[in-house]
Amino acid sequence: MAPNIVLGYDGSDGSKAALATAVTVARAFEARLTIVFGYEPNPMGGESSDYRSQLEALGKGVVAEAIAAARAQDASVEVEELVVPMRPAESLLEAAEQRGALAIVVGGTGERPILGAILGSVPHKLLYRSSVPVLVVPTPE
Amino acid sequence: MTTTGVGERTTDAPQVVGKGLKVGALGLVSSLVIGVASTAPAYSLAASLGLVTAVVGLFAPSIMLIAFVPMLFIAAAYYYMNRADPDCGTTFTWVTRSIGPKAGWLAGWGILVTDLVVMPSLSQIAGSYTFSLFGANGLAQSKFWVTFVGVIWIIVMTLICYIGIELSARTQVGLLGAEIVILIVFAAIALAKVAAGGVAHSVTPSISWLNPFRIPSAAALASGILVAVFIYWGWDTAVTVNEESKDAKRTPGVAALLSTLVLLLVYVVVSFAAQSFHGATFLTNNSSDVLNALSKAVLGSPWNKLLIIAVLTSASASTQTTILPAARSSLSMAVHKAFPARFGGINPRFLSPGFSTLLFGAVAIVWYVVLTLISPNVLANSILALGFGIAFYYAMTGYACVVYYRRHVFKSLKNFVFIGLAPLIGALILTWAFVDSVFVYSNPANSQGRAWFTFIHFNVHVIGVHLYVHGVGSALVIGLGLLLVGLPLMLIWRIRHPAFFKRDREVAESMDGSAPPLTPGVLPVTD
Repeated sequence: MAPNIVLGYDGSDGSKAALATAVTVARAFEARLTIVFGYEPNPMGGESSDYRSQLEALGKGVVAEAIAAARAQDASVEVEELVVPMRPAESLLEAAEQRGALAIVVGGTGERPILGAILGSVPHKLLYRSSVPVLVVPTPE
Repeated sequence: MTTTGVGERTTDAPQVVGKGLKVGALGLVSSLVIGVASTAPAYSLAASLGLVTAVVGLFAPSIMLIAFVPMLFIAAAYYYMNRADPDCGTTFTWVTRSIGPKAGWLAGWGILVTDLVVMPSLSQIAGSYTFSLFGANGLAQSKFWVTFVGVIWIIVMTLICYIGIELSARTQVGLLGAEIVILIVFAAIALAKVAAGGVAHSVTPSISWLNPFRIPSAAALASGILVAVFIYWGWDTAVTVNEESKDAKRTPGVAALLSTLVLLLVYVVVSFAAQSFHGATFLTNNSSDVLNALSKAVLGSPWNKLLIIAVLTSASASTQTTILPAARSSLSMAVHKAFPARFGGINPRFLSPGFSTLLFGAVAIVWYVVLTLISPNVLANSILALGFGIAFYYAMTGYACVVYYRRHVFKSLKNFVFIGLAPLIGALILTWAFVDSVFVYSNPANSQGRAWFTFIHFNVHVIGVHLYVHGVGSALVIGLGLLLVGLPLMLIWRIRHPAFFKRDREVAESMDGSAPPLTPGVLPVTD
């Protein structure tokens, strides 16, 4: 299996910083870069058909931007897109596991720890649950 | 540098990659929990038990039984419409598809209005039970402080939905399990104390309480049903969350059946026990905090706090299952260009329908405060008004199912029963309860509080029945009025944005095939 780097990308500033790092790392290890966007409506409340398709459209748009940015930075890195109906952290863990990824790269949210815990911090979840190394890239000031 | 087709593959068949973890997580138990938690049994009883006894006296348990019939029948419509529209569709899309865009728009409006009307009742219960929890019974009676906490409640719950905070499946199972156990223990202790004797105003339980034919009048039955459909409201979620279940063909049916049994058991047993403890009049007189009023005498302090906590957790689940579908319905309408595009916006940080969620929360606060200021009994009027909204859009769903599958109704007995007869009868019962209650609540004496429009005087002959209408009660103004506001709004939207209304009606080609996307080629809306 070719080496692989999994990147969590949601279009935020933190994820943009993570993208730049991920492209550099993927280039260094001659790895393929998998750009992941995970979304999942809360099953409570139902009525999620159109909501899902909106999320999917948003994800595809965001990931398309990421691919363009990755190409602009280094056209030699092979890029794969993955927009999946799963919670963000789970989508990254599964993508990394399936590909035997070298590492998961995510952006730090720049939020304070307690706020991050309340709002749901993906890096935090990954650090506890990932079986592969996790690289958290700080958001530039 | 290539972009492989993996992304496309996953959208065509999401289960290939996407559903691996979830499939294990959302099995029968989760479907069951979602269905029952969405119905919120403890909150539903706290909000409505006193109102049901106000209408039918000691026959409350029979209303609990009989109100379930139309719900069960409408659930068949939900189940089959959900099969046609993959994922969890909405009444808005189903009615638009089958009956037409105008009816669909109004059905969508009906959902929004109904979700809005329930918010004051939820906040009221949350406010007053919060004070009861801390023993501040004086404040629990204070209109200002209850409203104050109620508004905070709406703000907090709206933010939870906006940010997308979810309880884990295990926590939900725990909370719901505790809620059910507390309610059953409460009922058992109440019945045991009644049997032991010595409880003031207690009534010996009678099996005749379950007989709907003993209910004094058809009007009482109709308004009883309209109040009681509220207690089963949300149950349909158990039928529609099938898409993520382990065995999509079997699980939703079994989950719906099991949640039915749980709900029926809880409602019948608790109403039985509650009314035998101090009599039906006690429940009616304490309708605004009926479980709290009973809990001290039945469970004794501090155990009564458990029941109060159960009502609060139940109300929080119910608030969530009100805000989420409301925001998703307005999002859905925006996606199909039946509503301003802003409602379709997704917040990029939290991936929630941001604008829809926050606006709904804001409107709910305004509505709650205004209603508190002008209506003497917020809770009662909200629940009564709510019945109109629920009956309206559930009935629309029932009719939509029959119309959509009309070519298949007579193909087999099973089809005839489940996609023809059941949805139609369910819709007809709800229509009847709706229409009959319009006449009941047209008489302000039957509404909680004074008449709002006393200048309306008319009398009507309907099939030999002479109805005099003198003034209109507040429940009717809220319930029917808000639905009717949809008509001019729809017409305005139709003039300014005719695209949505040019859509053609559809009919099911097969029983199993999923319908084509409702709006092919329409660009998605994002912030």
